[in-house]
Amino acid sequence: MERKLIGVISGKGGVGKTSLVASLASIANMDPEINSIVLDCDVDAPNLSLILPPEPEYQIKTQETFTTLKATFLEDKCINCKQCIDDHFCEFNALSWDEDNQIPILDYLACEGCGACKVLCPEHAFEVNPVKSGEIISYKTQIGLMLVYGITKLGSTTSGKLVSDCKMFAKGLEEFSESNLIIIDGPPGIGCPVIATVSGLDYIITICEPTPSGLHDVMRAIEVVREFKIPFGIIINKSDLKSPFQDKFKKFIDDTGYDILGRIPFDLSIPKAMSFAEPVVDHAPDSRASLAIKDIYNNLKKILWDHQEN
Amino acid sequence: MSQRPKVICVTGGKGGTGKTLVAVNLAIMFKNDGYKVLLIDGDVENPNTYLLLGGSLENKTEVPFFIPKIIEDKCTKCGLCAQNCAPHALLHIPDAFPIPILAVCSGCKLCYKICPEEAIEADSKVIGWTYSTRVNDLSLFIGELKPTEARSATIVEDLLEDLDDIIEKEPDKFDIVVLDTAPGAHCDVEHLIKKADFVIPVTEPTKFGKLDLIRIIDLILLLKKDYRAIVNRSSLLGFRDEFLKELKEKKITVLGDIPLDDEIVNSYCQGIPLMEKNSDFDKNGAGYVAFKKLFANLKEWIQLNSDKNTGGK
Repeated sequence: MERKLIGVISGKGGVGKTSLVASLASIANMDPEINSIVLDCDVDAPNLSLILPPEPEYQIKTQETFTTLKATFLEDKCINCKQCIDDHFCEFNALSWDEDNQIPILDYLACEGCGACKVLCPEHAFEVNPVKSGEIISYKTQIGLMLVYGITKLGSTTSGKLVSDCKMFAKGLEEFSESNLIIIDGPPGIGCPVIATVSGLDYIITICEPTPSGLHDVMRAIEVVREFKIPFGIIINKSDLKSPFQDKFKKFIDDTGYDILGRIPFDLSIPKAMSFAEPVVDHAPDSRASLAIKDIYNNLKKILWDHQEN
Repeated sequence: MSQRPKVICVTGGKGGTGKTLVAVNLAIMFKNDGYKVLLIDGDVENPNTYLLLGGSLENKTEVPFFIPKIIEDKCTKCGLCAQNCAPHALLHIPDAFPIPILAVCSGCKLCYKICPEEAIEADSKVIGWTYSTRVNDLSLFIGELKPTEARSATIVEDLLEDLDDIIEKEPDKFDIVVLDTAPGAHCDVEHLIKKADFVIPVTEPTKFGKLDLIRIIDLILLLKKDYRAIVNRSSLLGFRDEFLKELKEKKITVLGDIPLDDEIVNSYCQGIPLMEKNSDFDKNGAGYVAFKKLFANLKEWIQLNSDKNTGGK
């Protein structure tokens, strides 16, 4: 079977991305046709490793990434000309002026590492160097498949880049060549890390809940996915949530004509499974939520491999 | 003595924990008490405050972002711009004009500044919008990133510049500013936390909630801010007491907790804030009572009635 890369995004956070990915991974892991690798690209708040812990005694690999650039100020070269401030070298407000010492102050967190100060300073009083931007962690999970996840170093500013690095890293794994399904747990939002997550994928699952912000945010995520021309399907989580918004939600979704990949009913077995840090399909295999997720998995397989029609 | 407003930032690390719910209802409670309140929706990837307030997007202003425009008549194809572009947003093939790759451009304008022929002009494109409106007697600023654009931080900066402007020119205009952030711990969230006097991370009583809370607190402390956490959906599956105990063991200060309550879901789906004083919601409901208590704790923490806050550590 041809290798497929799929991602789960939602726009809004906390609507069930990670719970879903953990369960899909567990089902895929039991499927004799499938050889799967899981990635957690929510590099600001990676949580998947809590549900998919490493196999005991497996050597966890940690690779530091140095893709972030940051400027440093070299005081001994500075001639206090203040040109860096007067000519507005920095577009990111990372340079301000220290009146007492007549030197620039560099705000490390605000610096984007663009190197404008380095290039523009006539005295070469700035340097730009790579700094640690995060870590990529990989291991064989207890259930058997490989997990790769990234975690940003706080204040390093480059979540999107780390997402791309994680995907590259996974492609370099020995297990990748034998794999036929790569499942990516995406970040919330629609910005840089989400764009980095979805680019180059074969299929996207957009998950939402039937609430005003759930709908609003998933539609924004779908706009991004459509721009990239990637096929996608919607999953409605907590689909039977008692809410005065249900009718409006249903009408809106129906009117778009977008594919519905599945519906997961509101089921306390999901938070229960999470409290045991287990995928719900393992913790409560016969629960309504688990049955719904199994249906979703089967649908997904059909969409990915049976026939390619839209 | 004119006093600058107190700035409270509601954040959380994990998505969907109730940041916007808390930000909106805190703002409403301050307003109910007669304070002049500005709410800023800094979750520019997915701004939702106006949905919870039943408001609409008004006074749209475009947020421009730099794009390099190559003036072919002046360009000598020297390649200096591409050589110095850190994110490789200019592709230079020998004997050809440089090609901008806008998706990775950081907007540093270095190419425009260093071109010896002045062959690069600073053009711009719209990457999002800001809105300002008044709803329920609150002033509301909203930032919105245009879907498919990546530079969300630029929109957040735009909102914060507006805030700086107000604080500088009319420090009395608002007593309280509430900032709502995106999930995560990236630069957008950082910018907003940096601007705050008090930070409130909102979490939920799950393993995910705890892990992400610890991470966002690390960021808050890195930015040298004082914080108090709120535990939302605290009654979920009876985890409350154990979760609060775990936070205590980690020396995480808690402002209060909000139990599960259908009235909260209803208020959210109707676009009427739970704490709006003229609403029909049950004033003895679990959510309502919890918010009242939280608010009392918050006012004590930020020392609203004294002249000067001593909130910092």
